[in-house]
Amino acid sequence: MGFVFRLALKNLARHRLRTIVSIAAIAVCVMVVVFARGLVEGIINSVINDHIYYNSGHIKVIDRQYREQERLLPLNYPVDGLAGGSLDEMMAELEGIEQVEMVIPRLKFGAMISTEAELVIMTGWGIDSEKELEFTNIEDHLAQGRMPSPGKLEVVMGTKLLEKIGRQVGDKVTIVFSTAFGSLNGVTFTIVGRLHTGLQLLNEYVFFLPIDQAQRLLYMEGQVTELLLVTKHLNSVPQVLPSVESLIAGKGEAERYGALSYREANDMIAWADIGKAIYNVIYVFLILLACIVVINTMLMIVQERTREIGTMSALGVERRGIVQLFLVEGGIMGIVGSFIGALLGGGLNAYLAQAGLDFTADLEGVSAEVLFDTMVYPESSWTNAVFAFILGVVIVTLSCLIPARRAANLEPTVAMRDA
Amino acid sequence: MALLELKGVTKIYQQGKIEVPALRGIDLTVEAGEFTTIFGPSGSGKTTLLNLIGCLDKPTAGTLLFNGRELSQVDKKGLARIRRENIGFIFQSYNLIPVLTAYENVEFAIRLLNKHDKKELKDRVMEILAAVGLEGLENRKPNELSGGQKQRVAIARALVKEPKLILADEPTANLDSKTSEEVLEIMVKMNQELGTTFVFSTHDPRVMEYAARLVEIRDGLISLDRRRDGTGVSH
Repeated sequence: MGFVFRLALKNLARHRLRTIVSIAAIAVCVMVVVFARGLVEGIINSVINDHIYYNSGHIKVIDRQYREQERLLPLNYPVDGLAGGSLDEMMAELEGIEQVEMVIPRLKFGAMISTEAELVIMTGWGIDSEKELEFTNIEDHLAQGRMPSPGKLEVVMGTKLLEKIGRQVGDKVTIVFSTAFGSLNGVTFTIVGRLHTGLQLLNEYVFFLPIDQAQRLLYMEGQVTELLLVTKHLNSVPQVLPSVESLIAGKGEAERYGALSYREANDMIAWADIGKAIYNVIYVFLILLACIVVINTMLMIVQERTREIGTMSALGVERRGIVQLFLVEGGIMGIVGSFIGALLGGGLNAYLAQAGLDFTADLEGVSAEVLFDTMVYPESSWTNAVFAFILGVVIVTLSCLIPARRAANLEPTVAMRDA
Repeated sequence: MALLELKGVTKIYQQGKIEVPALRGIDLTVEAGEFTTIFGPSGSGKTTLLNLIGCLDKPTAGTLLFNGRELSQVDKKGLARIRRENIGFIFQSYNLIPVLTAYENVEFAIRLLNKHDKKELKDRVMEILAAVGLEGLENRKPNELSGGQKQRVAIARALVKEPKLILADEPTANLDSKTSEEVLEIMVKMNQELGTTFVFSTHDPRVMEYAARLVEIRDGLISLDRRRDGTGVSH
């Protein structure tokens, strides 16, 4: 094998430019695969994470009626305890389930602010700041100020929402909303923080206030609209979900409350998995593009080396040996090209994972309900580069079977022909 | 036992719907250690005969025995094995692998046998290169060698595995007369010292002078088969 490897290296060095072009084609395609895979994974993971952080948690417990009317943010289907118990007791019981790390309460409601020019419609989220900071990545988006403190009439808003209402951090703002009893209420809050994020929902539509203040102002003491369960690992959700359901059923509340895993709460997650599988097929086709160059080069080589191959065959090299020689030559190009491509793609992803890609202008009209961060950070992982490297080496080497078989099929009598 | 025995060997090539007979019933026996020249005009069937003797091709009809073994039932893999272990080739255009040095070209043939350790292999290659007068040139690539030197490398490559038979297709065709004689003398020496059987095809009258046996082929048939010692048959 050592001799075959040496011979293959020398053969590749015969026409350096041609070999370099083939290697470059492989490198470019592998680099594109690494980058595209990093980008797609980055987008999908970002969508899934934002969906988990700002919509479903790992498991979401809500009133079944609320689920049907969730978009309207009704306040008359709250989560307020199990079988006559309090909300705190319910949260404690849920936290007691094995693998459950945290239970996060949220109270969402519709609200509006009147400016001189327009009526700005918003969604208020009553939150436990401490838990939100622990669970979500909201801290990363807090561009100014701090999160609202319990017991105080404080709010945090997104940059765009602040622009719309013409306010800034430190200003007061009067927010109008409908209480659980249907009466209108108007309360003045101090803006204590500003969020700046690519998520349109947080940037433009949501304001955060302490959950105790939300409950008090909406006349919903001891009530929330949803409880988000955070498990120790995302993978443990399938094991935890039945325990949550059986706890609810055990308290005779199965008809009222439903527990949804993050996957059930949004069809997009299943689509994301399908998307990943489809993209994996596309990556194979990308590498096959490079293979066209390699196959073409190798076929030219077979043509040029017809007499040489015939001589080898005449000297007693079997079909397998000739196939092996060409596969080793293709394999070397595959390894070198894929390595360079994986390295460049990995480097590009590592850079963009920090710098990010700004799609704000392109996603201007996308609904805020789609939790798509307009700042995309490609996933930078060595597994991604290794995946593309292996894909490149395997596909390029296998594609060399075509010219290798053609070479092996040459009759040894060609060695006897005149030059 | 004869090294080669051909009985009624016919070779027909198919060119589209037309059948072109290249050999039309050849009977030929080559004893071990013979130094035989096959000659004849272009298109007479010399190269076809060499292809069959060299196990590069199979006859359309007739039997071909190599060292007592009938070859018509041997598959391609089996023929490759016979070539690898028993036959050395010397080509008109040398057919050296251009990216390999003289040493590596010779090494290539012996490596295929897979029966020598590293040291033995090196000693054997250096010994054979010295025997053909290429001492000191072992690290040169074919494009750094003269025609005669290239043919010496080809001879060394054919001899290094100590084959039973060496087939040489017009080995002096691309060489000047002085170099031709040097190359032929090396082959005669190897034939005498090692007892290797040589079969040539040639147009070159000088080559015929060196041959112990002359076989003329015309229109796919042997028209003359004569040994220097006077034995043989005129067809």
